[in-house]
Amino acid sequence: MSNASAMAVRVARHPHVRFLVFGAVLMTLPALASSGIMMTSTLSTLGFTLIYAIVAMGLNLLLGYSGLISLGTAGFMGLGAYLAAYVQDDLGLGFWVAVLAALIVPTFIGLLVGVVSLRVRSIYLAIATLTISEILLKTFEQAEWFTRGTAGKQSSYPVVLGIQTDRSSMFFIIVVALVLVMMLTHNIVHGQLGRALHAMRSSEVAAQAMGVNVLTYKLFAFAVATMYAGLAGALYLFFLKSSYPSTWNLFLSLNVVAMVVVGGLRSIYGTVAGAFVIFAVPELILKELPVIGDTPGLPYIFSGVLIVVVIMFFPQGLRGLTDLLRGLVTRRPSAAASEQAPEEVAAR
Amino acid sequence: MTDVLQVEHLSISFGGLKALDDLSFTVGDSEIFGLIGPNGAGKTTVFNCITQFYRPDAGAVWFAPGADRLARAGHHGTDKVDLVGVPVHRVIKHGLVRTFQNVEIIPELSLIDNVLIGGHIDFKASMLAQMFRLPSSRREEAALREKARGALAFLSIDHLADEPAGGQPYGVRKRLEMARTLMAEPRLIILDEPAAGLNESETEGLAETIRRVRDEYGCSILLVEHDMGLVMNVCDRICAISFGKFLAEGTPTQIQRDPKVHEAYLGERDDV
Repeated sequence: MSNASAMAVRVARHPHVRFLVFGAVLMTLPALASSGIMMTSTLSTLGFTLIYAIVAMGLNLLLGYSGLISLGTAGFMGLGAYLAAYVQDDLGLGFWVAVLAALIVPTFIGLLVGVVSLRVRSIYLAIATLTISEILLKTFEQAEWFTRGTAGKQSSYPVVLGIQTDRSSMFFIIVVALVLVMMLTHNIVHGQLGRALHAMRSSEVAAQAMGVNVLTYKLFAFAVATMYAGLAGALYLFFLKSSYPSTWNLFLSLNVVAMVVVGGLRSIYGTVAGAFVIFAVPELILKELPVIGDTPGLPYIFSGVLIVVVIMFFPQGLRGLTDLLRGLVTRRPSAAASEQAPEEVAAR
Repeated sequence: MTDVLQVEHLSISFGGLKALDDLSFTVGDSEIFGLIGPNGAGKTTVFNCITQFYRPDAGAVWFAPGADRLARAGHHGTDKVDLVGVPVHRVIKHGLVRTFQNVEIIPELSLIDNVLIGGHIDFKASMLAQMFRLPSSRREEAALREKARGALAFLSIDHLADEPAGGQPYGVRKRLEMARTLMAEPRLIILDEPAAGLNESETEGLAETIRRVRDEYGCSILLVEHDMGLVMNVCDRICAISFGKFLAEGTPTQIQRDPKVHEAYLGERDDV
């Protein structure tokens, strides 16, 4: 009996189960919208927040775990979006092929960029991804057969497993994708792969001495980040049913960096929280404020100020904030341990 | 006695400065071998040439770790290999592992996860198997975690296994780095100034640990160290170098009596 309950506790504490519960909670949101408790526009904003959380999860793997930075997130996300539209609406191949294309093609291009730029020094990845993102942006504007240029590509809600989706069911699909991404990310960072990324960020020299092939793991992290961006792009397209080149600019890439920094490096839930603060808070709250609500570029000012504040005062981001709160409630056992440390040194 | 490591005629220069000049020495099986020399003698350069962080201009680094470890590194039908030209991250597969002067551990990870980094080369599961936590990858992780716990226990820090490495006292972090080297089933461990930053009693403990590692793991140890007390206490043989050149080799007593060594250390004489 106690054995069974201990087992139940273990299952309930498993991170994957927590991700599922988190997803289940998110899935109640469309019901809130349809019953009129929440505005449908709010549901849309939250849907996009979760899509950005998926992209940011990839960048966190790169920036947080591997210590690499990409400024090309928007380009790869846009490529995913246009590919999804092209495969579903122009080629008529359906939802799954569209998602697959949005996963594979950006990852492949990302790997090529990585192979060329990561051989030299990590910072070149930032430069190379910025360049490739700008090239992609220009391509989105010019390649009208593919993107309809500045007029914008129109799409429609996809048919998934024989069911015609709408806004609510697309929201469900986004939640499923997010939960899968959270599980996958958790698996990556809590095993040998994650340890190798940690080692690489901490010291490339030491990582190599331990047998970590630094180039392989940099490419791995970058490929996963690009794959998440492609997936998020496809979801974005299906949720909004259109895509314009101007969406996929540098500001979006920088906002994703802000989501990671504000949410907290190396934190899965923090990344979701970061996406909420950077994307949803300006949309839902700042725009409604009197007087300053109409200021052009207000979201950018907001995320800019937040980045500065977080880096200066809360280097752990929102994750650090939750640790702090938890510490205040439970009288901080970690602080007691660190106070003990100097004595221990002296005693030796 | 068979030699595990034979360094032959090693030379390297940096922009016209000869950092190592025709240096040769050998490290025997289960031997604790010290490399000493005044500041700037090129001790760390020797390390970096052996572990392939630097590519020497001339010379060879013959390593004979036994057939099983050579097979692990992909060499078959030979009993020794020249490490020169082997990619840095493949060196550890041969059974050669090093520590760092300034203790390169990962502060964000727990002690046991830090040790598991040392077992990186033993993970055979593919990236995909690990991303999806397939049973094969879970079994492998569990087995290596057990082995890592053993390494921590060997250095008496297993009670801290799940604590973050970052907040630990210096002595613990040093032992942690040592535990990590044991994961790779080394035939030769290279210790770069292991006594730096330790107090007298910690240094005594270190000498004991070095001997225990040699005896129980059956490996050789190459030691670069400034603390002459430790070197003279623990080493079977010592090689002294100065300005990248061979100076003298012998037992601690022979080295202490060698006039050339005295000359090289003049000014730091009270160390010797």
